[in-house]
Amino acid sequence: MTFVCVALVWLTGFGIARFLFPAPPRWSLHTVFLFSLATGLGIGIASCLYFLGLTVAGPSLLFLAILGIIVAVVALLNGILAKNRGIALDWGPGPPTPIYLTGALVLAVAMAAAMFIVHSIEKPHGEWDAWTIWNLKARFLFRGGEYWTDTFSSQMPNSHPDYPLLLPSIVALCWTLARVESISVPIAIAFLFTLGTAGLLISSIGILRGKTQAFVAGMLLLASSSFIQLGAMQYADGPLSFYMLATLALLCLQDCFPRDLRFSIAAGFAAGFAPWTKNEGWLFLGALLLARPLALLRFGNRAAIGPQFLGLAAAALPATALAAFFKLHFAPPNDLVSQKFADLIAHITTFGRWVITAEGFVKMLFLMGGFLLPIAVLLGVYWFLVRFRVEEHDRTSLATLLLVLGLLLAGEFAAYVAFPPDIITQLNVSLERLYVQLWPAALLVFFLAANPPQLVSRPAPADAKTKPVARPPKPKRRTTQPKPADPPVRLN
Amino acid sequence: MIALAALALASSFWLLLDLISVYSQSTSTFGVASFEDRFSDFRKTLAPHTVLGYLSDNPVTDPSSQAEFNLTQYTLAPAIVKPTIDEHLVVVNYHSATPDAAGLRARHLISLRDFGHGVLLCRNETR
Repeated sequence: MTFVCVALVWLTGFGIARFLFPAPPRWSLHTVFLFSLATGLGIGIASCLYFLGLTVAGPSLLFLAILGIIVAVVALLNGILAKNRGIALDWGPGPPTPIYLTGALVLAVAMAAAMFIVHSIEKPHGEWDAWTIWNLKARFLFRGGEYWTDTFSSQMPNSHPDYPLLLPSIVALCWTLARVESISVPIAIAFLFTLGTAGLLISSIGILRGKTQAFVAGMLLLASSSFIQLGAMQYADGPLSFYMLATLALLCLQDCFPRDLRFSIAAGFAAGFAPWTKNEGWLFLGALLLARPLALLRFGNRAAIGPQFLGLAAAALPATALAAFFKLHFAPPNDLVSQKFADLIAHITTFGRWVITAEGFVKMLFLMGGFLLPIAVLLGVYWFLVRFRVEEHDRTSLATLLLVLGLLLAGEFAAYVAFPPDIITQLNVSLERLYVQLWPAALLVFFLAANPPQLVSRPAPADAKTKPVARPPKPKRRTTQPKPADPPVRLN
Repeated sequence: MIALAALALASSFWLLLDLISVYSQSTSTFGVASFEDRFSDFRKTLAPHTVLGYLSDNPVTDPSSQAEFNLTQYTLAPAIVKPTIDEHLVVVNYHSATPDAAGLRARHLISLRDFGHGVLLCRNETR
């Protein structure tokens, strides 16, 4: 029964995703994109509705069941009956994908799944934060009955009662509907988010940059043990990284298909769920609302700013409003932010804290991911071989992504310097998770800017048109010179 | 690209083996499952909205002390567990099956029920 509930939530998301971007009923990249997006949309909407239901009608199973079924049926019917309209999302132009790369991606998926399963079998309740914060809150919501507001009791400071409730709410909803407290629910939710993030990265880069780039990016993400293990730990960082990636990927697609405002609307939905997932989501939302108009003003079509921004903001509003309502009405003040002003000033004016934070941020570039070689070196070598090449029409997307990621890193850096009393412990326990939150979006930026390996091949011989090509030419180390008619921007 | 793919897969495979070997050698009884077992009878007696104090025989400096407190809270939810004995009811988490009666008396705690496995419910005489 628990899996039926999780499936119902996912189907709700799929119905909404298919209503927004109708696809022909066959297996395609478009379907992979919808399947991946469905996870975040379904879980986000169900979680918000559950919390609204609790506040309006209390912990009533009947009310929740009726509301859940109505929403699921309406979403599914709309999704199924949606007529094909707009664009069909398909693989972008790119070099032919070698068979070994497809095999490597399949192997990476299998090993990531195995890693997730082994971790979940050994630690079905997740790791420290899962049973101290997220699953604990789910238990309070589910077991607490009429006392469900005890979830936010300031008598339990270890559970961080001000943390938002996307993850606990969806777990408690499935337990309530299934009428059983099964640990398989948080595991399934974590698995869906992990798989959904990988699917979203592969499909969005596939649409924007072609199959080869998408497969390399997907393989790197799935081979990042930190990302897979963080998912299996049942932390909220995985869902947050999903929503960040979904928002940014949808905005890139918006720039690719500028007349179709559905991408901005879907991006708004995803962005709105970020503050409902983790407090860092507020920073992401702020960075996005600042970066997007700036990028559009500088590189995009200025006439598009109004409609795109309106669609984004309007779609983000409901979930953001719920997160704000939770913060204002239920949550006690955050322990880090509610420090004395004098302490904050003392922290900011301590030079050593800046050095320690900078050192931590740089070190983590080399440690993150759990690769045999540091990931910064791997990507550096890859960049050296293929180089970056930014076409005119990609500038808005890349500017948005880089501005958002830059603002996020700057904001997190400032938070580390200003807030935690014990900065070293705070860096040790949270910095890698912060990087993993940004990792899928960082891969999107990197592979959006990087040349596909084929583009660095030797120029074809003059008589190439008359001769059949047996196989793609070998790539050269350096990129070819840009065409004079349409000069690309080189970022290196 | 071949090197990148090979390195990524090798890293993934290496860590998978690492994970399997660590977990297959793990014999520790510490963890959520053991706490759930130890506290299961106690939890059935608790009503929502109950507030409990907490006492453990772990030294305060022991790194597992905080983890055990959090696990006790996780197991006993929706009761609220506070890291103090200044509550009317106190849950005791001892590591020996026979409770330290003298230690409890010295803290003005009277045992109300022994659930076994070092888990007791006590009343604080002073509250």
